[in-house]
Amino acid sequence: MSESIQKTENKTNGVPEPESRPSRRGLFASLGAGAAAVALVNPGKIFAATPPPIPSIRIAKDITDSLAESTKLGSFDAKGGMTGAEVFAKSCKDENLAALFCCPGNYQIINAISAAGIPAFGGRSEGSMTSAADGFSRCTGEVTACSGTEGPGFTNMIMNIAVAHRARTPLLVLASNVTIATDDREYFIQTGYQQPTTEGLKKYGKRLIAPDRIHEYTAYAFRNLKTGVPGPVHLDFPGEIYNHRFMAESEVKEYYSKEKYRTESRPHPAPKELAQAVDMINRAERPVIVAGHGVFFHKAWEPLMVAAEKNEIAVVTSGPMRGHFPDEHRLSASLSPDAFMSADLVVFVGQYSMPSKQERWRFNPEVKAIRVNPTGEDLGRNWPLDLGIVADEGAFLEGLASDLPQKKRDAWVGELAAARQKYEKQLMDEYDQGLKHSQATNTLHHAVVCKEVHDFLYKGSIDPKQTVTGWGGWTIGNAGARWLRAYRPGQEVNCPYQYSAVGPDLAMMIGAGAAVQLGVGPQAPYKGAPVLVITSDAGITYSMFELDTAAKYKIPVICIVYNNNAWGMWPSAVGTPRSMHMYLFQENLRYDKMAEGLGARGEYVRTQDEFRKALKTSYEVAAKDRVSTLINVQALKEFTSGKDYPPGNIINPEPSVGALAH
Amino acid sequence: MLLVSGDAPAKLTRDDAQKLKNPVANTKKSINRGRLIFMQNCTSCHGEDGKAEGSLVASATDLTSPQLYKSGTSEGEIFHSIRDGAGDQMPAFKSQIDSETDIWNLVNFIRSLWPEATRPAVVDDGK
Repeated sequence: MSESIQKTENKTNGVPEPESRPSRRGLFASLGAGAAAVALVNPGKIFAATPPPIPSIRIAKDITDSLAESTKLGSFDAKGGMTGAEVFAKSCKDENLAALFCCPGNYQIINAISAAGIPAFGGRSEGSMTSAADGFSRCTGEVTACSGTEGPGFTNMIMNIAVAHRARTPLLVLASNVTIATDDREYFIQTGYQQPTTEGLKKYGKRLIAPDRIHEYTAYAFRNLKTGVPGPVHLDFPGEIYNHRFMAESEVKEYYSKEKYRTESRPHPAPKELAQAVDMINRAERPVIVAGHGVFFHKAWEPLMVAAEKNEIAVVTSGPMRGHFPDEHRLSASLSPDAFMSADLVVFVGQYSMPSKQERWRFNPEVKAIRVNPTGEDLGRNWPLDLGIVADEGAFLEGLASDLPQKKRDAWVGELAAARQKYEKQLMDEYDQGLKHSQATNTLHHAVVCKEVHDFLYKGSIDPKQTVTGWGGWTIGNAGARWLRAYRPGQEVNCPYQYSAVGPDLAMMIGAGAAVQLGVGPQAPYKGAPVLVITSDAGITYSMFELDTAAKYKIPVICIVYNNNAWGMWPSAVGTPRSMHMYLFQENLRYDKMAEGLGARGEYVRTQDEFRKALKTSYEVAAKDRVSTLINVQALKEFTSGKDYPPGNIINPEPSVGALAH
Repeated sequence: MLLVSGDAPAKLTRDDAQKLKNPVANTKKSINRGRLIFMQNCTSCHGEDGKAEGSLVASATDLTSPQLYKSGTSEGEIFHSIRDGAGDQMPAFKSQIDSETDIWNLVNFIRSLWPEATRPAVVDDGK
């Protein structure tokens, strides 16, 4: 474990580091010259001198100074007026853009956004920063931005934009894009056609080509981000746009405020349709509401609770985040997957990524269906409907809460409870088997890891509602999803939701951690709490360097890496032994050591007791000192297979706490 | 030993499994019930049509071609594969499909996917 992290002073003499330091090139040049001089004077003693102590990892004073700088919003009255970048940043500020995650590049835009006072975070790779923005949004429901430079920075974001697209995240994707003047000339550097590249991965996008229309297209962006079904919006900025100078407001076309370029108006259900829905629910014996991500993004969890309790309707949450209906509630069906079979009515509310009836959702084929969506064009896709309603999720649920009669459904509630008991027994059976496997191998089985996390977060001294969690990976991800819980809105991030990407998990949870540190939206009551992510050794590859970002901004993350020496899909090579090498890593890699090298703490564990202690210490340090820890949990790849270590990797039922596809 | 039961032994060898007889008649009703269980538990690896043409896992068996089955084609062996897992990738489903009758229904459905010439005859269930 590193004891030297987070120091701002030189460890050896306690003297603050000098304000200005030599550049790396200058430092190496002087070291080289000095060594050469010693060699010439006394060649026999070149290795005898005591080497200087290796300096500690620390947060540079330049960083803390920069973060303490006051904000500065551009003004047309300023000498030189406002740049296009400043006009854009001001519009983002007016729209309450929640945060920006970026890597250097698109300089004028990111500098103007940060100067405007929007919380900005700079990290190590554009892809991870895109996922950090996604994670921030998933646990707050707010619009966030990511940015990268043209060419490699932008193309590095693609996988993560796709992840956000499938999760319908209101993500503002920004990238510079050379200049209009050099279009189509393969002009150095990094020219590229960005908008066709994000085709199919966004809700709206535009390469800006007229400087005076910058505000007009910002309005386009926020209309799309904040209205209807959310999704990524991609703007690319040629130099002529962000560098253009405006000396007066009149030089910017369509320059009017958000109250005039978009509306907060919500589509309400037609009275007849609402009455029909109320009647269908009331006549059903076993109704279930599938509360999708629209319920969260449109902050409709309160009317959901009122409607469910009033008429005793079961609720299962679904989507890229969970918690908009609490798992422990007697009407929650998230832990009762076997109860769905007897449901006679399913009401999809804000379920933007619809399963098809053939796609292993556990409802009876004869179940009647109502679907409520803010826009009409998706109604009826994949799942035949008995009633489709165009309405904002909140407006519909408020209508239900008002118009549904009080009703008791004792048989249904009892069935939910029995199904939950059965599901929890299944989890315990898996845990019991996993514990035996762990004890027999002196490594940790995924079920043991996840139950320990569960007990620590929800059964001990920590407020069960406090910690925002996320999960990813294959074997460990499926297990994590079964054991993590959500008791309040925005508490659990389903990192691989729908797109099943391996790797954004840690970055996503660093973004979520930033939201908790800032206390944004539903995270306000838990401001400052650590976040926790369970991921795999395959997944950690993609965002591990962002532990530096977490350390730099003091975002405390507990990152559990299930180290089983392999891609989770290694059994896919069993039939063709010559290909197995492609699925495996070196054994016993030390991700904890790598974490220490990035300024986080590292813990290495192989037993249940070691893991318990590591969790406790890591959480205490995270809460007290805002220091992150990576816990390297040594496992075996063979635990994925049920052949020698039953039950193997269980694919979770859907919908349920473990749902991944929808 | 001939095992005939709706309560198959908790531990089965492949030989034991081969001798198991399906206590659930191969009726349309059973096949339909099996289809439902299949849709809820099996399609992510074996696909909606059982042909395993998706890319989630590489070694999922094409259930429509019994000659490709790696762990046996008798009804008992299929039961054993579902309940206790098969190969390195297929997990045991006994905790998720806890009714042995439903596993047998699933066996009937899976065998209904076979080519017509090899498919077991469907018994009239009187409906």
